Amino acid sequence: MRTRALILAAVVSLSLTGCGGDDGDAGSTGGVPGRDVLDNAKEKVTIEFWHSMKGANADAINAAVADFSRELGNKIEVKPVYQGNYDDTIGKYKTAVQQKNTPALIQIYDIGTRFMIDSKQTVSVSDFVEKDGASVDDIEPNIASYYSVDGKLRSMPFNSSTPLLYMNKEAFDRAGLDVTKPPRTLEEIAEYAKKLTVKDATGKVVQYGFNAAIYGWLLEQLLATDGKEYCDNGNGRSALATKVQFDDPAAVEVARWWTDLVKGGYAANTGRKTDDAQAAFKTGTVAMHLESTSVLRGYVTAAKGKFTVATAPYPKLRASSSGGPIIGGASLWVNGQGHSALEQRAAWEFIKFVSTPAAQAKWHVGTGYVPVNKKALDEAVTKEWQAKYPQFTTAVDQLHALPPSVASAGCILGVMPQARKAAEDGLEQAIVGSKTPEQAMKDAAASMKAEIDRYNKSVG
Amino acid sequence: MRGRQEAAGRGGGGSQGLAWLFLLPSLAIFGLFIFWPLGRSVYLSMHGSDIFGGAGELVGLDNYRDLLTSAQFGKVLTVTALFTVLSVVPAVLGALAIVILLESRIRGTRFFRTSFALPFAFSAASASVVFAVIYNPAIGIANGVLGQFGVDRVNWLTDPAIALPALCLTTIWINLGYDVLVLSAGVGTIPDEVFEAARLDGATGLALARKITIPLLSPQLFFLVVVSTIHALQSFTQIHILTKGGPDRATTTLVYSIYSEAFAYGSSDFGAASAQAIVLLVIVLAGTALQFRLLERRVHYR
Amino acid sequence: MRRLLVYVLLIILAVPVVFPLYYAMVGAVMGQADLTSYPPALVPSEVHLENLRGAFRTVPLGRQYLNSTLQTCVITLAQLLTSILAAYAFAFLPMRARALTFGLFLATLMVPWESIIIPNFLAIASWGLIRGPLTYVGLVLPFLASAFGTFLLRQAFLQFPAELHDAAVLDGAGHGRFLWRILVPLSRPSIAAVGVYVFLSAWNQYFWPLILIRDPQYQTLQIGLSQLNDAEAAEPGLILAGVSLSLLPTLAIVIFGQRYIVRGLTAGALR
Repeated sequence: MRTRALILAAVVSLSLTGCGGDDGDAGSTGGVPGRDVLDNAKEKVTIEFWHSMKGANADAINAAVADFSRELGNKIEVKPVYQGNYDDTIGKYKTAVQQKNTPALIQIYDIGTRFMIDSKQTVSVSDFVEKDGASVDDIEPNIASYYSVDGKLRSMPFNSSTPLLYMNKEAFDRAGLDVTKPPRTLEEIAEYAKKLTVKDATGKVVQYGFNAAIYGWLLEQLLATDGKEYCDNGNGRSALATKVQFDDPAAVEVARWWTDLVKGGYAANTGRKTDDAQAAFKTGTVAMHLESTSVLRGYVTAAKGKFTVATAPYPKLRASSSGGPIIGGASLWVNGQGHSALEQRAAWEFIKFVSTPAAQAKWHVGTGYVPVNKKALDEAVTKEWQAKYPQFTTAVDQLHALPPSVASAGCILGVMPQARKAAEDGLEQAIVGSKTPEQAMKDAAASMKAEIDRYNKSVG
Repeated sequence: MRGRQEAAGRGGGGSQGLAWLFLLPSLAIFGLFIFWPLGRSVYLSMHGSDIFGGAGELVGLDNYRDLLTSAQFGKVLTVTALFTVLSVVPAVLGALAIVILLESRIRGTRFFRTSFALPFAFSAASASVVFAVIYNPAIGIANGVLGQFGVDRVNWLTDPAIALPALCLTTIWINLGYDVLVLSAGVGTIPDEVFEAARLDGATGLALARKITIPLLSPQLFFLVVVSTIHALQSFTQIHILTKGGPDRATTTLVYSIYSEAFAYGSSDFGAASAQAIVLLVIVLAGTALQFRLLERRVHYR
Repeated sequence: MRRLLVYVLLIILAVPVVFPLYYAMVGAVMGQADLTSYPPALVPSEVHLENLRGAFRTVPLGRQYLNSTLQTCVITLAQLLTSILAAYAFAFLPMRARALTFGLFLATLMVPWESIIIPNFLAIASWGLIRGPLTYVGLVLPFLASAFGTFLLRQAFLQFPAELHDAAVLDGAGHGRFLWRILVPLSRPSIAAVGVYVFLSAWNQYFWPLILIRDPQYQTLQIGLSQLNDAEAAEPGLILAGVSLSLLPTLAIVIFGQRYIVRGLTAGALR
């Protein structure tokens, strides 16, 4: 156990230099409620659980809650409440903090991590682990490193995704390409896209080679594959980040690559809404597509009877890039402020439950998210499913191949949601041709400066 | 308003107290949810925001200065103006054309009148959702039909040059039913003898429209332009459903900008958003006053 | 010949106006193959009721229908009540500062709701009216009074001869009896006009429920449609099925209650 913890600590401290006393926690370790609080409770406790999962993923959440209540239902009732997408949820959480009515348990996306720490509302997961004398050894170290800040695991990773390259196998076959030899770099994607673009007799495009939502997350991933840090001060992990770095030549290269594909008519610009980009792939309008693992289950279902969904590791920026993508997704946070010891404990019990190998295996096959618990891969459910749908293994393999680095740990920034939006502004301006890629990315990065300063000032 | 005389003596019985008792519910709601928030908006607009969106320190007019000096806000105002003009003018003119055609005393007028009023059954949300399906770049019927005529795929909502017109088209469609209803009602109030007299004078078709229908409809047209303009300035639903203000902010109007600053993308900058809200208030008030001055003179009242 | 031209023009204008409604209704029962076929199908090759079930599976449309109905009915009834009372005071009761107070009412019509939505949201949230069933209260509270309704009903009440009012009240009928037994029944058309107008605007609300509602249990139908659109972008049949269902009440109003709509909508335009 010790060695594991040491490895984890080493990953984290790559970017950590002495960070002073204030750890931003609501309660100190001494105040963390133990199991006895639950055992001694006279009445059943009900906690709210805010989440952002919809469709197949919401079904999987409800199933997990049902399983949990079979186990501890006499003591704890978890009430899952869908709050809209991740942005909506963090927005609603902000209001809840002001009104002092936060839920005991909340799912927050990766890029909300810094904000959650600065909000000083939460109890670190590592405090519970310490209190219980348990360990987090089974949690994938690559995933845990994202949510470990200042040496503590702040929240429990829950739904971890990595980005994938999705392919329409039949479209590849028709073009004489082989999905088992997928493109590995942006340049290769461009080559493939040209071959996969199909026009009818009148010159009208009936199938595009490529598309992806103009989604900042995808850019963050590409930069990480090239070992580029998204924001300064070691991706915001050695000190509060003071600027974003998506005006870096690597980011400009991504913007130019994307713009050229759209201009050449090889990629469809489906805009910023991920739903729309996904619809284009699901309907077979595009042959290659970048998206998170989290939509795999939905794709497999939607494509049934129409085409075969194939997956490949996320492309690297260029052949010489040696990094890997960031672990995306979201984690579960326990709110301490304004919640009784019993409620806090109940939230932790649920977190423990959904992190077990069995629960994570079920979650993995129900959604496509990477199991955060390594042992979930040994579960029969997982093995059976992966034998039937080998597409699901791509993400797991990619995760294991990931060399831990500061770049792939991801940027921790209080206004990261806004930064992601700014990057999307830049990409979109380049893609629709209203600015050159250089100018667009430069302006986008510059536009974040004031906002970052203001945030850093307000958290002191 | 024309109204009847409102002699203070109207109503003999009862006392002052009863009047205020009857007005109390309305006044309480207005006070709590209109007048007090108005003051709060001004207050918030002069404060910064903490990380949760709560009012931070007093910043005076800084939020306004930031707003008025940013190029982005200039674009927001331009988009708002374009959206307003491009959605109000065609809708009112289209409705006018329809109503004039319906006046041609042909069979089936009732059927056509109801058909043209049907969009009124749509909420902005349901209409926008239908248009989202129609505009879908991959499988939407708009591109399907255009493709039949050899037109290449149009990116209705993702091409910055087309998104705003596409959004305006949806807005025109949403408002057309209402405009037709209002103008039809207006035509209904014109006495038949007026038309008869004009017809006896030999006026037909367009001449009849120009000499009789349009001048006599001017109060309704004036009303429509004012109401639609205010309405357009406040449009939100169709933008939220169709474009989310994009692409490249091509459809970010003032109201949408307030929303994104205050509620979207996990943002909660209520200070900056409130400054924009005050700008909206000023624009709506000024716009209404201006239209009254400009158009009132040309309106033909009977 | 001219008549033919008029018909042609009317049809040219009517097709794009009616098409979205037609497409929503027909698309609701079209299969995925019809909806995504090229060239596009305008008539379903088979009636496909699975879409309706699918729409209900994606979002709880039934529950949202109930929520919207509840919200709309409460707002409509409350606005009618507060407007009737206020209009009665303005039309019949002696009071000081009548013009000033009436001006205050009219001034509320000039304030765009979007310009005060932030403080309203913060206030409603700080009173806890975004939690659990209290959400219903937060949803309707700011909309329980209306200057528009007051204005319109006051106009109607002023048509009532003052002498008759005075005689009735002096005869001992009292204000309450007079108002509810005589005035309200006689003003039914105007009240219906206000009612229809308020009903439609409450039913169509979007911005307020969007930012206010936390728990999907209390979500309204309009937001549900938008969520359905996001979730099922690849399955237009489901989206159109949801839209068609949501249209039923308003479509009924437009077809059967046109008279009242016109009256309510044009009150300001007809002088």
